[in-house]
Amino acid sequence: MIIDENKSLIVARNVTKYYGPFKALDSVTFTAEPGELVAVAGPSGSGKTSLLHSLAGIIHPDYGEVLVDGNDLAEFQSRKERCSLVGIIHQQYDLVPQLPVIHNVLAGHLGRWGLFTSLLSLVWARDRRQAYDILLQLGIADKIDDKTSKLSGGEQQRVAIARMMIQSPQLVLADEPVASLDPSRAEEGLRLITDLITDSNKTLVITLHSPHLIREYCSRVIGLREGKLIFDLPTSEVYDHHFDQLYDIGH
Amino acid sequence: MKFWPVILTRHRILLLLLVLVFAWSLFSVNWSGSIIHTGGRSSFLKLWLSLFPPDLSLGFLLIASKATWTTFTFAVMGIVLAITLGLPMGVIASGILFERSSVNRVPIIIVFRGLLAGMRAVHELVWAVVLVVAIGLSPVAGIIALGIPYAGILGRIYAELLQSTPRAPIDALSQTGASQLKILFYGYIPAVLPDMLSYTFYRFECSIRAAAILSFIGIQGLGYQIQLSLHDLLFDQVWTLLLFLILLIVLVDLWSTRIRRSLLA
Repeated sequence: MIIDENKSLIVARNVTKYYGPFKALDSVTFTAEPGELVAVAGPSGSGKTSLLHSLAGIIHPDYGEVLVDGNDLAEFQSRKERCSLVGIIHQQYDLVPQLPVIHNVLAGHLGRWGLFTSLLSLVWARDRRQAYDILLQLGIADKIDDKTSKLSGGEQQRVAIARMMIQSPQLVLADEPVASLDPSRAEEGLRLITDLITDSNKTLVITLHSPHLIREYCSRVIGLREGKLIFDLPTSEVYDHHFDQLYDIGH
Repeated sequence: MKFWPVILTRHRILLLLLVLVFAWSLFSVNWSGSIIHTGGRSSFLKLWLSLFPPDLSLGFLLIASKATWTTFTFAVMGIVLAITLGLPMGVIASGILFERSSVNRVPIIIVFRGLLAGMRAVHELVWAVVLVVAIGLSPVAGIIALGIPYAGILGRIYAELLQSTPRAPIDALSQTGASQLKILFYGYIPAVLPDMLSYTFYRFECSIRAAAILSFIGIQGLGYQIQLSLHDLLFDQVWTLLLFLILLIVLVDLWSTRIRRSLLA
């Protein structure tokens, strides 16, 4: 497949990141197109989260570059543009536990809203209808006014997804979003996330451990080990021995 | 040789020294009676008994209620001034507004921490004396005298609470593109509000106590009435006034417990 880099949503070139003497990412190069569902697999410490964080612009590579829709995130100044480009769902969802669900969802608007609108909304929720519709779609509309800390892990994940739907960036990153859920909740959560991506022709980069879930929900998988890219294949061409190679099984 | 350095850590050496200093200090005490005034017990008992029964006549209850109300309003104005000054100063001193920005926040933090320290280093009574000289004997002087040191105390506590907020939800908000000022209201304040309120209420109780004492600069509060009654040797009235003061503190305590409980629910 010939890839026109100018059209790729993600262009990562020789991305290298050190933490002290530890090489978290070692010259990782790949591109991703709109509509792709990219899984990043690898054992703990293989650089999955570092890769995701460099795509989000949370960390900046020591060598190489990351372009999202042609923009170098390291030099990106405007918050507003960045948040319409990249958003991230964390492993622990990282919502504000003391706030009611609605404000955690509407926080997806904070990059666009002015200061006054943002503050006023805390008193009198703006775009309540939109938040309600999204929560309804995710099956937790009845929790809209509940304190977020009272929700279960699966429900909190949906709140994080709802926030992401409001933010609506072109590139959605998800860092082991199902790691703390039971298997059936995990599948449900993944289905919600991947549906959101395919419905709106966005791009997803997600870190996942389970080969089963990767094959079921993603279109492509990148294997990382010790910070190096080991393979980058469509899920239809990925076999168990590829995963064994990552996790050192059978050696 | 390896045995000793493990046992004698720096903390333990310090602890040992402090215990030794304390033990040594006991030898310098003259144990033969000058610590407590020997005649004190009988005169204390006399004073204590002379307070009974409290003066519960309607006329005096009215005076006591009015004095309590004055002290209460005075304390409210003092704490409101303290919050108005202390909250923005505490937010700035915490440095959270300058994260993720190119501003060098260290000098700003140092200046505001220093200001807060200076405000609370001086006791409200000393502020009162200074302010009475500056603006004369007036309730305004009393309120400012109360507000300044309390703002220093509140601002410092607010800054520390804000700094100890869990990072993850804050970072997640930042990734939605929110500015630090928006994150202050969406992330920091909700996280610290119960502790902030609880400490502010505790300080409010202290400000009632202080307001009663500050009565001497021209506010007809509880302290002023206690002073009058003491001058006239009317100890039964003193007892009534103290009861009102205790009652006021207890009520504020109950109020703060209710608010905190509803916040944590």
